[in-house]
Amino acid sequence: MPKNKRYTSNLNNRKQSTGGGPLIVFCIISVLLLTFYIREGETGPIHAVRSGVTTITSPIRFLGGALATPFDALGNAFTNLTASQESLDELKEQNAELTARVAELSEAEASAKRLEELLGLRSTYNLQSTAARIVGASSDAWSQTVTIDKGSADGMEPNMPVCNSAGVIGQIIEVGANTSTVRLITDENSGVSAMVQATRAQGMLQGQPDGTLRLEYITTDSDVQEGDIIVTSGIGGVYPKGLPLGTVTSVTSASNDIYYTVMVSAAASAENNEEVIVITSLTDEQVASDDDVAAANDAPQGSARDAQAQDGSSDDTSDGEAGDQTDDTGEEE
Amino acid sequence: MAYHDAPQTTRSLAILAIICCVLQVALAPQISVFGGRINFMLILAGVAALSEEPQTAVITAFFAGLFYDLTASVPVGLMSLLLSAGAFVLAHASGSAGGGLTPLSIQFFSIFALAVSLANGVALMILGVEGSIVAALLSHGLTSAIITAIVAIPFMMIYRGSEASHRSFSSRGGSRFKGIR
Repeated sequence: MPKNKRYTSNLNNRKQSTGGGPLIVFCIISVLLLTFYIREGETGPIHAVRSGVTTITSPIRFLGGALATPFDALGNAFTNLTASQESLDELKEQNAELTARVAELSEAEASAKRLEELLGLRSTYNLQSTAARIVGASSDAWSQTVTIDKGSADGMEPNMPVCNSAGVIGQIIEVGANTSTVRLITDENSGVSAMVQATRAQGMLQGQPDGTLRLEYITTDSDVQEGDIIVTSGIGGVYPKGLPLGTVTSVTSASNDIYYTVMVSAAASAENNEEVIVITSLTDEQVASDDDVAAANDAPQGSARDAQAQDGSSDDTSDGEAGDQTDDTGEEE
Repeated sequence: MAYHDAPQTTRSLAILAIICCVLQVALAPQISVFGGRINFMLILAGVAALSEEPQTAVITAFFAGLFYDLTASVPVGLMSLLLSAGAFVLAHASGSAGGGLTPLSIQFFSIFALAVSLANGVALMILGVEGSIVAALLSHGLTSAIITAIVAIPFMMIYRGSEASHRSFSSRGGSRFKGIR
């Protein structure tokens, strides 16, 4: 006669697990994953798995981005809640002007205009680039990244700079088969070698935790003013020199400070579903030459504003060319 | 002696997991409020911990955390570690709270969300991903915890899991799943 032990039913008389065993196992696995992730390079197996997951989930990401586009205005409303009254008044005024324009332009025309501007930027700076579209933002609160719809299948590689018609928005940090993750210049882990366009004062444009930009290492003997345009310096060989990064919004320093605290308003913003270009390679002229680097080291404070203005038209050095290029872009904008 | 309907529980949990994964990939990147984002994987882990056995909760939380790590620009293994440990503690601490939407379960979930988000912020700062403790804890951690706890309410209303079975014996059987079947 069979024993009761062989009788099976939904009645479960096993001792309930406390979950302690799985917890220990999963904690060990998690710590190992974390360790390997930190120690492995960009092409390690965990990064490869992440790229695979990104590729698999990209259709859902695209769909979410497409569905959310009409609701972007709602997000802007939340953002505006934190803006100052002065900013809101200014924005309301701008909004009134823009509303009149928007009535005249269809979405297709706007898109065509953006593409035209991108082509203009590409042509002005002689950029070797590929067009892409922003399809999503970061899914975590701790990083400022966007996802674009081009990946390794389209020739994308980590460290490639990404721009829109207004200027630099960031740099590719991870590449999947058909999508790439772009770290925005406003991310606090982002740093771009930059200079003040008017005086060539050298610095590092650093993202801040609150999403703002700060131009660091500008010595107090430099000539920097509100409204000055900040451009890439080309030093480091990642970004082509002369691309617009932003505009100086404030310059402050304490009595004994060596460096100014220079706050910068980003020239470009990364909106969902917007067209961007990924710079796939740089020409020799776009990278800072040895002379440029030497000049930056010798005189990081740049030159006086008046001297720069006098030299500007006749200076045929590479810096001068970069300056001219950016001036052209400024006029177009 | 506890009554179990394992296939039904597994199916309900799988449906919840799929919904949360889709929302994490499609919706979470689109919504940012005061620097915080909704963490649907934290919701999945929390709801599972409130409604399921500790073992099921830990397993669910680990894979939820792993999915979060693989779809976000964060170090892989961190959220899976935090959610596994958090779900274990929550499942044991909320033994008398039960699943579903009750003041006690909301309280437990809120503490869970806050603890995980703040621990994540501190860990990211230690790992060098975050540079400011204020931004890591207040701007991102606290706001993420708050909006995640708010968004978790409908999930807690709908999903009741098998809390009736493992908290105490229940003869309700198939009526344990209020919404997800």
